[in-house]
Amino acid sequence: MPDICLYAQVHQPWRLNRFRLFDIGTQKSWFDDAVNGEIVRRVADKCYIPANRVLADQIRRSGGRFRMALSITGTVLEQLERWAPDALASFQELVSTGGVELLGETYYHSLSALADHEEFAAQVEMHRAIVERLFGVRPTVFRNTELIYWDGLAPTIASLGFKGALVEGADQVLGWRSPNHVYEASSAPGLRLLARHYRLSDDVGFRFSQQSWEGWPLTADKHADWLHAGGGDSAHLFLDYETFGEHQWSETGIFEFLAHWPAACSARGMRFVWPSELCQRNPVGSLSFPSPTSWADLERDTTAWLGNRLQHAAHDRIYRLRESVMASGDAGLITAWRRLSTSDHVYYMCTKYFADGDVHKYFSPYDSPYDAFVAFMNVCQDLEQRSRSGLGLKAAS
Amino acid sequence: MFGWEFPPYQAGGLATATLGLVKGLIGAGEQVTLVVPFSAEASSVPGLRLVSADGAAPGLVVHHIASPLDPYGTAEGYQELLAPARKAGTRDLYGADLWQEIDRYAALAGDIAAREPHDVIDSHDWITFPAGTSARRISGKPLVAHIHATEYDRCGPGANPEIVRREYEGLHAADRIVANSHVIKRQVVERFGVAADKIDVVHWGIEESARSFGPLLPSPLPAEDPIVLFLGRVTWQKGPEYFMEVAGRVSGFVPNARFVVAGTGDLLPRLIERAAELGLADRVHFAGGLDAAEVDRAFRMSAVCVMPSVSEPFGLVGLESLRCGTPCILPRDSGVAEVIQNAFKIDYWDLDAMTECVVSLLRNPPLREELSLLGQAEIEQSRFRLEASARKTADSYRQVHRISRGI
Repeated sequence: MPDICLYAQVHQPWRLNRFRLFDIGTQKSWFDDAVNGEIVRRVADKCYIPANRVLADQIRRSGGRFRMALSITGTVLEQLERWAPDALASFQELVSTGGVELLGETYYHSLSALADHEEFAAQVEMHRAIVERLFGVRPTVFRNTELIYWDGLAPTIASLGFKGALVEGADQVLGWRSPNHVYEASSAPGLRLLARHYRLSDDVGFRFSQQSWEGWPLTADKHADWLHAGGGDSAHLFLDYETFGEHQWSETGIFEFLAHWPAACSARGMRFVWPSELCQRNPVGSLSFPSPTSWADLERDTTAWLGNRLQHAAHDRIYRLRESVMASGDAGLITAWRRLSTSDHVYYMCTKYFADGDVHKYFSPYDSPYDAFVAFMNVCQDLEQRSRSGLGLKAAS
Repeated sequence: MFGWEFPPYQAGGLATATLGLVKGLIGAGEQVTLVVPFSAEASSVPGLRLVSADGAAPGLVVHHIASPLDPYGTAEGYQELLAPARKAGTRDLYGADLWQEIDRYAALAGDIAAREPHDVIDSHDWITFPAGTSARRISGKPLVAHIHATEYDRCGPGANPEIVRREYEGLHAADRIVANSHVIKRQVVERFGVAADKIDVVHWGIEESARSFGPLLPSPLPAEDPIVLFLGRVTWQKGPEYFMEVAGRVSGFVPNARFVVAGTGDLLPRLIERAAELGLADRVHFAGGLDAAEVDRAFRMSAVCVMPSVSEPFGLVGLESLRCGTPCILPRDSGVAEVIQNAFKIDYWDLDAMTECVVSLLRNPPLREELSLLGQAEIEQSRFRLEASARKTADSYRQVHRISRGI
């Protein structure tokens, strides 16, 4: 019978203004405060606040036996502080129940691991700092943006002081092995790896309200039965926190599911564990990820962000700007540049399945990947010109 | 079917579309009797391009009616169409003005309808609507009216009320209407008061001939200069003036960009003047009307094709451009924008947005390549084949046929 490790990701990007060619050099703001404020407020009301309430309630009722982990990016924390302080307070209250472990990641939910290890380390430290400031805890387990992980990254994660990392339980890596065990990194022995059980995670994250799915309607008891039947030492359910109330609307019954699920698991004798508890255990073996793997799409690779020419061009452009932006010493400019490193910006440029109108489209504020690219490159051009002119953002504000 | 034949030089999509439909119908196993006006004096190559070299295609019967009618005829332009006949001394054979000629054509169409066996009559846009109604009166068979564009699309505020009247009559006389997009279906419902459930939407298809293109001939312009293409009738509807304004702005960002205007029309003189005013005389190239091979060549040498149409019920040029792998900027409210994903979609009046797209495409080869490859892949999907549109059209035929027989 497996123990259960639940982790949810909380993230919102700084979405860009509709920044036009003719806006370059006009000091127009790069980020769309109106849209960002509106979205964060909406997600706070529909998801964060009600989900936090359900979970805090479950933790208290279970006397601490129900426990879980969250990872909250710096970009969403900044926006909550600004536009939804009540939601931030509700996260703080949830963490203060003692039932929630917070994980470490890059502050900007960026692809810096794939581009620049110095920047990566800097963003991880920034994230640690904001988590300590707002929640008074220090993360010891790491999850990289979209669970992107490969052998080459493991030593860096270990050197930053983490005991373990969350990874995708991708078939191409696990092969015949079950994700329901604790493994270690082949390239950094000592670093524990927790592999996501993607089927049982996506049953909730993606398929919960899909009426064409044979498992529909998914009840807490049904899901607990499946977890129980999965065997192994520990089942790792990793999903987006926005699943609760945003991707799956309240009307689908997702909150009722969430409220009944802990008891349904406990009734079958399964216990809840934090990632850091699992990282104390001995690994059953080691896993090797020869190439970057993620939790996205069917491919489980990085092609959702770096799959086409547009995305590579935009990604290269932003990291090529790093040196001159840092050299400017302008804090506002550096912050803006880092917000541009958020992976969502290149995700919007994904053309995989675009013609079929799929999940990528749902998350994008743009009409098409091409519009996303044009706006992003315009901002990069403006940022480059401002950093060169030495005007920076002081002049902009 | 009362359709249109290719003129020697392509003036618009109507002939391409009706002949594509005929081809698709024959491919789908239907029998077609096609009636087309034929300018006996102007053209030295009678016959349809879709008929094989020996002059026969199985399932197809073609009737040519000698007439100077052309699919984009205007009352004012009719005397010009008559010029070759005047020279040849056959002037008296034809109507004195456009209206008389259309009626004469309709009477001859009725004669053919009396002789040729058929189950359903189809006619394409207002000039052939009277022919369709006349055939319907004589044979008693149901009439399907294909609507590709209305007078409001072609001329906007300058719409000719007599043409609008004839469109109204044709659309109301028809038993069923096939519209080539939701855009034009709305137009027919709102402007002509036709019941929405009488209209089927069938988007146009295109022949998948890209693979058979010959070797790419070198561009006549310096290879290092990127080309921005406008291809279409140089008339109010197609927005060539917006193209010229965008050209002026793009030049500020990409000084070596060149602009090709392929097509003719009443706005051409004004456009040439404006190019000179903008200081672009040596940057804008007026190519005139192109034949089919030249059209493909124009697409393939261009970095982007811009369609700033004020009104574009469908916009076949968009499909043709993508088929050649040339990224396209489509009018936001157009039929082609309803079916294509891998393209920019811009309002014709939004010159800044259009400029931005062109500049981005010219400056970023990755954007160009992505749009080119995915656009081409998209257009290769089976839903864009002629047979797919033809099958849907045949469904509309069958529906009116069943009703006419009381089934």
